[in-house]
Parts: sequence; structure tokens; C-alpha cells
Amino acid sequence: MLRPSTPICRTCLHQIRTASSAAASVETAPIEPSPTNRAPPPLTASQSHSITYKLKAAVLLSRPPLLTRDLTPFEKSYFLYQRRLNERLALPFTRYFYYQRGTPGDIDWKRKIKERKTPARDIGVYNAYGVEGWNDELLVGDSVSEPEEQVERLLIDAEVEVKERDVPGEGKVVKKEEVERPLPRVTEADQAGDTKSLNRALQKTLYLIVNRGKGRWGFPSAELARQESLHTSAERTIVQTGGVNMNTWVVGNIPIGHQVCNYSQGIVNEEKGTVLRGEKIFFMKARILAGQANLKDNQFGLEDFQWLTKEEIQKAFDPRNWNAVKNILPER
Amino acid sequence: MSLSTPLRRACLPSSSIPQTQCRHATLIRRPKRPYTFTQLVTLSDGSTYTHRTTSPAPVYVSTKDTRNTLLWNPSSQKMLNIEADEAGKLRAFREKFGRGWDAARMEEKDEEDGMEGGAEGGREPEEKEDNLMDLISGYGLEAEAKGEAKGVRQEKEKSGKRKGGQR
Repeated sequence: MLRPSTPICRTCLHQIRTASSAAASVETAPIEPSPTNRAPPPLTASQSHSITYKLKAAVLLSRPPLLTRDLTPFEKSYFLYQRRLNERLALPFTRYFYYQRGTPGDIDWKRKIKERKTPARDIGVYNAYGVEGWNDELLVGDSVSEPEEQVERLLIDAEVEVKERDVPGEGKVVKKEEVERPLPRVTEADQAGDTKSLNRALQKTLYLIVNRGKGRWGFPSAELARQESLHTSAERTIVQTGGVNMNTWVVGNIPIGHQVCNYSQGIVNEEKGTVLRGEKIFFMKARILAGQANLKDNQFGLEDFQWLTKEEIQKAFDPRNWNAVKNILPER
Repeated sequence: MSLSTPLRRACLPSSSIPQTQCRHATLIRRPKRPYTFTQLVTLSDGSTYTHRTTSPAPVYVSTKDTRNTLLWNPSSQKMLNIEADEAGKLRAFREKFGRGWDAARMEEKDEEDGMEGGAEGGREPEEKEDNLMDLISGYGLEAEAKGEAKGVRQEKEKSGKRKGGQR
């Protein structure tokens, strides 16, 4: 590993050697606790017994956020200020490049700009070149900076007025063609509190958690089979938990976190000369792309499932389990 | 230096020149930024976002994007049977030749053929070949008949010319 010619001082060399040996032991220890493993002696068994752990792979099956987050009030007012500032700094809008003189589009444009005094639709009534051009900051209680309000302004501007002239007795009848409104950011499942739906909490990541009976909620997990990698075990766990009606993707071969659960008393196996100290759970990251979980044919005796955000998981989980996973889960 | 010294002596009064070095600020022109609008883009599945653009259209509705392309949605059941006919070529073909060439109908026909073959035994491929041979031979016969007719006409014309020549 180290060439003798490299100039390293004695203390550094010592540190490197200890670190590399520690890393090697970490790599080898959890995979297969063999009888030759020099682990510290168990508390409950005799000195000849070696310690083993039950290895488990848990799946953090998550749905990524579908919407950008809501802006803070400061961000909203900042963006409005920047847009009004840009109105003063950018070149004026070249109207005749886009609208030919005398065309209906040009007439429509003139009518609209007389109302709002500026080509932009999303900054309210603001004249950048007028005497009041300095007055560009958001006033208290003004809804101009709200993104929903700005989108609404755009949609109103997109409405096309169709004039029907030949109506006897009434003269001109103005009919407006409505533009299709975008879907709301809060869904029906949000309002109903349906935690089994994947169409909820669109701004946050949702995780699949399952109920193992008596309100013990946790991520779906299974014991590693013989000669099975964590990746394949995670794929198998997803299918055996939620059925085949899910299009999923296990992201990597490496776990994103782990948890060690020690039993209160080790289980001694006299034949093999080992003592089972507890469980080591490795968390594998996975994404759901389509479909929905169905626990009808699950092989782990699970009772219920939920799709929860990080904050909701904190309430549902046991504090010890929560401490093991809280730093794995992203904020949103 | 020998060239510049007489010029300077001729142009400037020597007493008012500052002796220290001086560097005035260079005039940097303002970058020309075009006017930009906020535009609402609606994708084909209904999702929306706003962006800044020079286009004055307030709303842009997309008809073809990643949300309704099969390549980007391999697990979507909706798009498996979609038939893209934006230019109307398939419609024009059907108006001209009918719907007998549709993929679904072809499959049905294949199934029917398979049923017949199953009833009769393993003779199906030979029969198909026979049918094809019939088609080809029939086409050949027709072509021959046409060619004969043409030949006859030509002969007649030639004969007429000859007749004319004889006269």
C-alpha cells in the first residue's frame, strides 16, 4: 500500500495504518460473521462463542416531489422588485416587430396596455418610465407578488375576445373564450387526508411505510437470503411487500444508511458455537415511478401501508427507529 | 520619439500639462438586453410552469413533449395504443384504400387463418404459397394479355402504314 520511498512522518504513518485496518475490519465484519472473527466476547455466552447478527435489507421506497416548493414572502417580494427593476433597465418592448400596424392583435395590445401601463402582465399597474417609477417595492397587503395571482393575470390576458356584430337589437356582443386553468397545487387526497394515495403532498417526498402489527410502523424490510446482494434483496422485498403492480427502481448497490438493533439477550446456538446478538438493517434507496402498493399477497404479515412525508414519519415511528433514519431522509 | 517631439511642441502649451500619470475610465456601453415577458407554459399533461421569454404570448400550450411521448413514458398504458396521425396521412390512406390494411384487422385475419390451419392440419404454409403463386401467375397472365393486345394494335397500325405506303 505505501511505498517506502514516500516521505511520511512516523505519526502520519501510524494513523494511516490504523485507519486502513479499521476500514478493512468494517468491510469484512458485517457481511459474514465467521467463527474465526475476532469480535469482543458476548456478555451472555461463554468465551468460545462468536457474535453474529441477523442481516436485513430495508427499502426506502420514495416518490420524488412533483412540484416546486412554495416561495417565502421575502422571495416573492424580492422577485417582484427584480422584475420591476428589470422593467427600467431592459430595452423597451419592440411592439411593431411582433404586431403589425392595424391588425387585430395590435388593437388588442393597445387596449390592454392602456389598462396596465406596461407590457408585462405580472407586475401589476406600474409605469417604469413615469414619475412614479421609483415606487417599485411591494406594498403591504398587495397580492401582486403572489405566483397564483401572476398566473391568473397571464390567463386573463390570454383570453381572446370574439365579437359577434350581427345580432339584431343588441348591437355588439362580446364573448370571451376561457383558457383552461392549471390544476391546483393542493389535491383532493390532501384535503381528504388520504395517506394511501400517491397523489398527495406534491411538494414533498413520500415514503412507503408498512404496519407490522400493533402499530409498529417501519420501512419494508426482509432478511438477506443466502448468497444474495443488498440490491437484489431490496428488489425482492419490494415485490414481496407491495406486489408487482409497481414500477420501481432501486437506485444503487450501496446502502444509504444502517441501523443496529441489539436484542435484550443474545440467542446462543450451541451447534455452530455462535450467539445471535441482534439485527443489522441496511437501508436501500428506491424510487417508485408508477403504480401503487397492494398488501394483499405480502409475505411478511403486514397489515397496512401509508405514503408519508418526513414530518409524518417522525410522528408514526418509534423514536429509536426515527433517530436511525432521520438523517437519511432529505428535508423536502 | 524623434517624430513625436516636434508635434507635441507645436500643439500643446507645455506649462498646463499635468506631470503625473492619468487614466480616465473607459466608457463601457450598456449591454442591450431585449424586453422579456413572463410566459405560462402548459405541457400536454396539464402541468404548468412560468419562464421568461421575448415572446409576447402570455400562454403557450404544448401539444407534443416528454409527457406524451412513449419513449419517456414506458410504463404508461394510455400511450401504448396511440396512433400518431398529425399530418393526416393515415386518414388519407384510409379514405383511398379503406381500413383493410389496419394492423388490428391484419391480426384478426391471421388468427382466422390459424384456426383454419388448425382444423385442416399442417398444410397451411403450402396453401399460403399456393395462393401467392396463384396471385403472381394471375398477374402475369393479365400482363401477358395486355401485352398481346398492345402488340396486336401495333401490328394493325404498322399494317395500315404499310398499306398507306403501298398506296
